[in-house]
Amino acid sequence: MITMGIDVGNLLSKVVILNGDSLLSSGIIETTGNIASEIDGLAASVLSDSGLGREKVEGAAGTGSGAKLLKDVDFCEDEVSCVGVAAGYLLPEISMAVDIGGQSITAILLDEEGEVMNFMRNDKCASGSGRFLEVMSGAVGIGVDGIDETAAGAKKPVHISSQCGVFAESEVISHVNAGEDAADIVAGLCDAVASIVVAQARKFGVDEKYTLTGGVARIDSITRVIREKLGGTYYQFPHDPRLASAVGAALLAGME
Amino acid sequence: MLFAGIDIGSLTAQAVLLDDGNIILSKSINVKPNPVESARAVMGELLEENNLSWSDIGHCVSTGYGREKIQDEGMAQQNVSEISCHGLGALSLVPQVRTVIDIGGQDAKVIRVDERGELVDFVMNDKCAAGTGRFLEVMCRTLGVALEELGPMSQRAKNHIHLSSRCSIYAETEVLHYLQRGVDRASLAAGINRSMAHRVMALIRRVGVEKEVLMSGGVAKNVAVRAELEKMMNVKMVTPRLDPQLIGAYGASIIASRAGGAT
Repeated sequence: MITMGIDVGNLLSKVVILNGDSLLSSGIIETTGNIASEIDGLAASVLSDSGLGREKVEGAAGTGSGAKLLKDVDFCEDEVSCVGVAAGYLLPEISMAVDIGGQSITAILLDEEGEVMNFMRNDKCASGSGRFLEVMSGAVGIGVDGIDETAAGAKKPVHISSQCGVFAESEVISHVNAGEDAADIVAGLCDAVASIVVAQARKFGVDEKYTLTGGVARIDSITRVIREKLGGTYYQFPHDPRLASAVGAALLAGME
Repeated sequence: MLFAGIDIGSLTAQAVLLDDGNIILSKSINVKPNPVESARAVMGELLEENNLSWSDIGHCVSTGYGREKIQDEGMAQQNVSEISCHGLGALSLVPQVRTVIDIGGQDAKVIRVDERGELVDFVMNDKCAAGTGRFLEVMCRTLGVALEELGPMSQRAKNHIHLSSRCSIYAETEVLHYLQRGVDRASLAAGINRSMAHRVMALIRRVGVEKEVLMSGGVAKNVAVRAELEKMMNVKMVTPRLDPQLIGAYGASIIASRAGGAT
């Protein structure tokens, strides 16, 4: 069964085409003020990458904070359910998914059937989110995509004591001005984000079998520290972790 | 014999000189890279401008950031917490004051004092920029408005734009979106000042309000935040005869004059 999932997130929008549970094609664009019209273009290009016509798609579902803008879907579902379904279906062993999105950190607890049992979300405060990383890496003068490369050269990560994004930005700027090595600052940032994420995940207890999803899960320098601090067993999400919510939506579209 | 108080904040540094319990001179500067340099600069400039020297000071008390280091460097003989200094400074200006709301560049405190100026209770936020001067700074940068303009500007507003984000970083994005949609700056300024007052009010509720109430620190100069807080507390605040940014340094100088044997 061919299905489509569309996730209009705070920072990024994603479209996936699935055949059953295997990913045929996917695309990611920035969420702008014009996303309502741009998302159709993305969906068309992802469809064309899959080599299928729109009529082959038997079910389509939307999710994300901008899901209400979507017209060409059968239904919409919240992101927690979508990430939960994607993680629980593709990684049946796990009992927890920690999703670190552009403007939120969500710890999702799954039962043995992969159903969402409970979740805990921080979307009130930027601390540790993708937006936090954007601001911090910008202060060092690199982009989010340069984090892994820069952090690789770290010798002695600096300690970032502030959790607040505004205060942490000042701290980073003062480290830059004090002539600290960019690698050490970025490595310190990765430690700080990992600590914030781990604190959120710990609220559900430790020693879980878990996966990490969302954009921040793509950054190895952060996931490595999260895994060290969190213990338990880490299962890597089988696709680009930014796609988790869209994949979940597409899976749900196939289950309806 | 003169008595001095030095108060180093996150953005500005203040010095006050007392003679017979009266303020004779004061100075405020933007901070230097570290508190010791700030203290040296603000006192140095104040003394030099008035043809005075360090030897004219009988006793000096430091407060605020790096107050211990400033004492270690020999510029002060004593260091006292900014909570005590703000409480005492406020009470010395208006003896009926029982609640001091001090909002600085990087923190916010609500201080309850008794009639002798002794600390009864206090609560502080220095973990989150929301509800501190930094929030207003970030918002002003986004709006393209000078900090001192934010209060008067919002008083001219026809509407209040409600900001749904508490987090300064998310609020910045929110304000940017409103600007892109053509919402006028004054209405946004009004929303920003109200949001600021809401965060401070959450702090105030934790210790309660007892009259009279005095606001100190740089944000006290924002007329709109003051007015919003007065509405929320249902209390008219007292207006001190001193720049609210100098109250910490003034409190420190009073402690210096007592320690130095002045009446």
